Parts: sequence; C-alpha cells; structure tokens
Amino acid sequence: MDAKLKQELIQTFSERLSQAAKMYMENCSRCGLCIEACHAYASSPETRYTAVGRAQNIRRIYEEYFKKGKIAKKLNEAVELSDFWMEKVYETAYTCTGCRRCMTYCPFGIDTGVIQGIAKMMLITADQEPKALSMLADMSIAKGKTIEKTKTNFAAAAKNLEKEVLERWRSEGGEDVVPLDVQDANVLYVALAGKHSIIPAAAIMNAAKEKWSLSYFEAVNFGAFVGNPAKTKEIAGRIIDEAKRLNVKEVVICECGTAYRVMKHMTGEKPFGVITFAELIARYIEQGRIKLDKSKLPGKVTYHDPCQIARQGGIYEPPRYVLNHLTDHFVEMTPNRQANWCCGGGGGLVAIGEKDFRMKSAKVKADQVKATGAEVLCTACENCHTQLSDLNEHYGLGVEVMYLSDLTAKALVQD
Amino acid sequence: MVNQIFYVITVPMVYLAVAWCLVGIAVKVARVAKTPAHPFTLKIFPDKDHPVPSAVWGALSMPTVRRHNPTFWVFLILFHIGVALLILSHLDMLPWFNIYPEDSPNMIGNGAVGVVVTAAILYFLLRRFAGPLREVSVPADYLLLFLLFCVAMSGDIISWANSWSENGFVLTKQDFGEYLNGLFHFSWADPAETIDGGHYVVLVTHVFLANLFLMVLPFSKIMHTFFAIPLNKLRRG
Ligand code: SF4
Ligand code: SF4
Repeated sequence: MDAKLKQELIQTFSERLSQAAKMYMENCSRCGLCIEACHAYASSPETRYTAVGRAQNIRRIYEEYFKKGKIAKKLNEAVELSDFWMEKVYETAYTCTGCRRCMTYCPFGIDTGVIQGIAKMMLITADQEPKALSMLADMSIAKGKTIEKTKTNFAAAAKNLEKEVLERWRSEGGEDVVPLDVQDANVLYVALAGKHSIIPAAAIMNAAKEKWSLSYFEAVNFGAFVGNPAKTKEIAGRIIDEAKRLNVKEVVICECGTAYRVMKHMTGEKPFGVITFAELIARYIEQGRIKLDKSKLPGKVTYHDPCQIARQGGIYEPPRYVLNHLTDHFVEMTPNRQANWCCGGGGGLVAIGEKDFRMKSAKVKADQVKATGAEVLCTACENCHTQLSDLNEHYGLGVEVMYLSDLTAKALVQD
Repeated sequence: MVNQIFYVITVPMVYLAVAWCLVGIAVKVARVAKTPAHPFTLKIFPDKDHPVPSAVWGALSMPTVRRHNPTFWVFLILFHIGVALLILSHLDMLPWFNIYPEDSPNMIGNGAVGVVVTAAILYFLLRRFAGPLREVSVPADYLLLFLLFCVAMSGDIISWANSWSENGFVLTKQDFGEYLNGLFHFSWADPAETIDGGHYVVLVTHVFLANLFLMVLPFSKIMHTFFAIPLNKLRRG
C-alpha cells in the first residue's frame, strides 16, 4: 500500500473519530459479552463474526496511528495499514448488518454500527467499497438533480398503477387514486421503486380518506448502506426539500427500515413529523378510519421486528397492534422486540448479493422462524422481506413472507 | 542500597505515580470532552425517560451483563464493590478517618474484601484463556489483569496473612496509617523507620505494584471508570 493512500486512510479515520467513536475505541474491555449477541456468530460460530472481533480489526489500526508508545502498541497488537488489513476492514464493514443487537449486551453500549461506519468510509477512501452501492447512491442523487425532467414519466407510471389500486380499494369518483404534488397534504408517502410498495399503501390511505401525496423519490438510501454520510444526507435531502415545498404535515416512510432511521434520526430537526407506514396503519385502525376482515388471514402469523425500525426506531407496538386486528392467531418469535435476531440482510448485504454469507450467517433467524410454527411471516421492511424470502427458500421454512401493508390492504373491508 | 531503593518506592515514586495518574486521567478525559459529539443519536429503543439517572444506574449495576452472563455479573459486582471498599479502607487507615474502630488492627472487612477482589481478578484472568475470548484478547489484557492480581495478592498478604502469627498482627492498621499520614502531609519520612520486620518487604512490593498500576491506568482500559457513564448515556439518548 503506498504512503499517500495510507495517509488518506488515516485522515479518513480521524475525521470519523467523533466523541462516541473515540470512547468506543478506547474503552472496550474485551469482556466478550457481545460475542453471543451477533447472529453471524450464533450461526457459525466464528470469532471474526462477533462485534468485538470486527471492532478489533479497526481498533488495532487505531492503536497504531492514534496512540503513542512502542510497548503499548505491541501489547495492544497494533497493526500497520496494509492490503491484508484492508481486507479485514472490509470484513468489519460487510459481515456486520449494523443491527446493533450487540449494543444491548455490551456493558458500555459500544455501538458496532459506528465502528462499522469508520470501516465503510475507509473502504470508500481506498476505492474498495462495493461499487453497486456507490453507483446506486449516485443514481439517487442524479435523480434529485433532474427531477423536473422526469416528472412527466413518473406521473404516467403512477397513473398506470390506478387499476391495481382500485382492485384493492374502490375509491370515490373523481378522487385521485395515486395523487402527486398535493400541496398542504397531511402525508407525503415515500415509497420504494416498485409497485409493491405503492399499491397496498395507496389503497389503505384512500380507504382512510387521507389527504396524501406520493413522493417523486424512492425512500431507500444507498448512501447509508455504503456508509457515506454526505451522500446519505443528499439523498434524504431530496425528500426533505419536497416535503417542505409541499408543506406536508408528516413524511411517512414506506416499509424500508434504513430510510426510516435516516429520515427520523440521522438528519436533524425537520418542520414535519416522520413516521413509519406501520404507525400510520395503526392510527387508521385506532381512529376507525379503516376496517379489517380477520377471515382474510387464516393460520398462524408471526412478525419479524426489522432492526432499523424496532431497536433503532422504537416501533415495536404499532405493527403488533395492526396484526392483532388482522388475525386471532398472532404468535411472537422468541426472542422479540429489542432482543430480536437480525434477519441477516441489513447493512447493504442484500443489495450487494452476498447470498452465501447471508444464508450461513442467519441460520439462527431461520431456526427462530421455524420454531414459531407460523404459516405467514410478516415484516415491515423491504430489506428484511428479501432476506427472509431467501431464508425461506434456502432453509425450506414453508412460510409465506408478507409485508404488513400488503396483509392490511388485502383485509380492507369496503362498506 | 536496598534501603534507598525501598525509600524511593515508598515515598517519591508514590508522589510521582499519583501525579502521573491524575494528569494522565485529566488529559485523556479532556481530549474526549473536546472532541465533537457524534452527528446523530446513538440511542437504542425503547428509550428512557430519564437518560442521565438511567445511564448512571446502568453503568453501576450493569443490567446487560446480569441478563446475559449472570456468573460474570456476580464477579464483576463483587469486584467493583470490593475495589470501592478497598479505596475506602485505605483512606480509613488515616488517623482522621474512623470507619473501623481506631484501635482495630484490621482494615475494613478484616481482609476478606481483598480476598474476594483477588478471586474475582483470577476469574477474569482465567476466563480469557478459553474459547472465543482468547482470540479477541490482546497481551495488554492479560498483563493488566496479572498486574492487578499481584497488587491484590500482595495487599492480601498485608491485610490478612500478616495476622497469621502467634501473636496476631505483625503490622497493624496503625502502622500503615502512620506511613500514609506521612505521605499525606509530605513529611518525606522513611516508613522503614516506623514499620519494621519481615513484612516490610511485602509492603514495599505492594506499593511498587500499586505505583506501576497507577502509572499504567491512564493508558489502559481501566479508563472506563470515567467513561462508563457517558458511554451508557449515549445508548439512552
Ligand atoms: S451490529 Fe449486529 S451484525 Fe454487527 S456485530 Fe453487532 S450484532 Fe453483529
Ligand atoms: S461487550 Fe462491549 S466491552 Fe465487552 S467486548 Fe463487546 S464491545 Fe467490548
């Protein structure tokens, strides 16, 4: 590795050393409490797939470049940056899903997600990050810049969805089925690319007679997956600008955990509320704005808490509230809520493929699903949905993996 | 020559170690304090209504350890309470502290506290030799625990084994109290003049190891003493 790159990597590292990161680097007592927390370790078990194992890759580089004393460096196994150690940096960044389950084991609450953030940024500096993620992030940013030119096409595509939305919910005459650019809307709904994330949501919001508007932008934030804070902000910024322009009351993020966490917790104060679609459905039920038919969902149903909206967002109860209005046969996974096992697909792993590793590292999740005996496995995050569907196939779980929005839309009762 | 070395260890080196330790801690804490905060919240949900008291309680009672490894938790709690009591019992040696009766030859806990702490350290050390923990441990982890073990062991000999003579204590709390009091008042007196006998060398060993420990402390992960609360605060919002 040449000296210039080394210097740049150290610079990147130091820029990422926030107060929290510094404390995380210096205070881990290597007590090993977090070892059992990680689904990848629980499924393998290989020590390199533990929170402390991954963090040590980064901490040993820290010891070399940010600490003094030859003896201390030796005793702390400091290592110089090299191609080999950049591979270990990659391992830290892309074998961890950033689920932060380990944080609930660690006596100090060390956040492996922050350490993973350092690793991801180092990879970007070394031009070694998964290119698919950078490319997708850049595409999102480019779309923000050329939005005016693509609006007509987008509106035509939205129009095309009308028939399918109406199949789920027959709206009143003259009502916009998939409304766009609605000034002063109550809800700006930010979907994903793909009609599966628009049709059920549109049907539900129309059923609730909501004044809503579909965002021109997709919710997913590849900037966050690749670990680039500037791009993360820029991608989220497109939606924030749109929400401000339309003067909406709330931005409702579709079933995408990362998009929700970024919008709610990583982009500062905003003049509008940010909620998940699960919360919106729960609100409609509570206010009696939609009615659901329990007979549409026979058989046992279980729920997977997406890490990004549950542990990192606190959205534990609304999806359960909705499910309890969809079925009398809801069963919890063990463990659940804050202690739930990650599906194994977060942190960009689903987007970059990595199927072998995803399947191997999430055996514990598959076992957990199997143990419920459920026929339907519901979740509220696209990333989790993809990973759980892969697990379903790989481990022969025999469940049907469904979105909460889809289950709800199918059970809507039209009076 | 030996006497001189003993004097250096028991008096000037103590001052040096304490000053080094305090300055080291201050510098480390200041460095972290002036680093910009993380750009976004690191809290874990459900979040707490009172993050500060909850962080303090969390740092002191370690609920996550209790939940996930109760045996380890018992040793950790015994160790930390033990260390707190040991600090207190060292202060209690000073004539103006009177937690234990002034004329008692014993330290607080009659030597038992030190033994419990030693056992806990031994447990921390031994558990590092097995399983995945061995793979993530670095030499500094073993050495630090070994150093602590030696400090505690030598302390045990002073506070406990010291009393196993036919006539009870060879050296009493009052003897050590006089030495500590001298240090406090910068008398620069040689403790060898008041403390005598075969056990003196154990005292010197204990003080030497404790000095070493104090000097290492600011560069070690024992700094978590000062960061455990702010760290716990981060995950509580
Ligand atoms: S954040 Fe999740 S995946 Fe990463 S080390 Fe912690 S438990 Fe494992
Ligand atoms: S539980 Fe926390 S302190 Fe212990 S090894 Fe893991 S990250 Fe380090």
